[in-house]
Amino acid sequence: MSHAIHLEHLQYRAGKHFEIPNLDLHVPSGSIYGFLGPNGSGKTTTIRLILGLLRPLSGRVTVLDLPMPDQHAQILGRVGYVPEQPHLDATLTVRELIDFQAAFYPRWDRARAEELVERFELDGEHLFGRLSKGQKAKLMILLALAQCGDLLVLDEPTDGLDPVVRRDILSALITYVSERGATIFISSHLVHELERVCDWVAVMDDGRLITEAPMEKLKQGTKRLVVMGAPAEIVNPPFRVLTRESTNGGGAGENWVVGDWEPGMTSYFEGVGASVREVIDLDLEDGFVELLRSFRKGGTGR
Amino acid sequence: MFHGIDPRSPIPLYVQIAERVRLAIATGTLGSAAPLPSVRQLAAELRINPATVIQAYKDLEAQGFVEIRHGAGTFVRELAPGRRARERSQQAGALVRKLLAEARRAGVSLPELQRALETELGAKTT
Repeated sequence: MSHAIHLEHLQYRAGKHFEIPNLDLHVPSGSIYGFLGPNGSGKTTTIRLILGLLRPLSGRVTVLDLPMPDQHAQILGRVGYVPEQPHLDATLTVRELIDFQAAFYPRWDRARAEELVERFELDGEHLFGRLSKGQKAKLMILLALAQCGDLLVLDEPTDGLDPVVRRDILSALITYVSERGATIFISSHLVHELERVCDWVAVMDDGRLITEAPMEKLKQGTKRLVVMGAPAEIVNPPFRVLTRESTNGGGAGENWVVGDWEPGMTSYFEGVGASVREVIDLDLEDGFVELLRSFRKGGTGR
Repeated sequence: MFHGIDPRSPIPLYVQIAERVRLAIATGTLGSAAPLPSVRQLAAELRINPATVIQAYKDLEAQGFVEIRHGAGTFVRELAPGRRARERSQQAGALVRKLLAEARRAGVSLPELQRALETELGAKTT
């Protein structure tokens, strides 16, 4: 499988309080890759490392099969980027900003830019500084899409926006992907939004990658179990134990949350003299929360 | 046709989409040769990954319900007589299984469930 973004043994430190000790990431070409994590977990820092805006202490960054930062000009010409904070000149109009951006990108798609101005109902004469938050976000997406990149890197593009604007932006992204087959790397903590669109998910916390998996595998593999009569020590389970606590009612029942679960693994419990009373499906948000809880308690991580 | 598709459900989205199409074919909402929405259109409308829609359509093609004509779109196939009826009874079976699973989870006994069904239908079922 070829990768649009590949990070190997990436190490980065910012001051005393934040570091990325050793990060590996594999973003398959053509995927819509959701990058999840709470605030301060290192998502934006990772994005800045991918784009060559920060230099790692060690490790390797490969983007669109080219080494970053050595070939940053070739790479960035094919990457659309929407930063977390608007970075555009507030005193320019929408039209001026589009023309300004177009000048940097040889593959600029004038027709697409025009179509998106219409679709997003933007007024070319308005000053960027006077636009609403939603209009600013739409313009930034427009600029990233019209440059016709093979990779889009979006840092919380819909954070803090109303549902109508979020919908418009997601639809525009999906239309772009269906037409061009580009890769999208999208960071967010809006879990439900990612659950709809992403086919791969990574979860970060405290500068570390907790998991990286195809969406369906993560969703299907994370379950809550109600277990009866489990021994205190369990040896080499075929799944990953994320959390384990006794049920509120007391007695021998316990609530477990497990990862890497597959149907048929209940037989493991029978082998150790216990039984599984119930296997409960979790959605992405529940799974995400349980992964973080387990990680913070000093669980095994991945 | 795709109202109420649930991304949070443990049932993968492509399975949910294929199920909806099969149901529409079984009930005749989608007749022979009717076109399905284009991948691009449906993905944008539901705000889901285009690959998910493609997967659903491919599964439907493998099951013989639709035909993917490259460049033209995806169309409902001519179905053998009885296939729609068979598909409807399969859908009915699936609905009942779902109901039974829910009832079991809620601790509703079978006689209780049967009585409730009779009340809803306004008639004795046995």
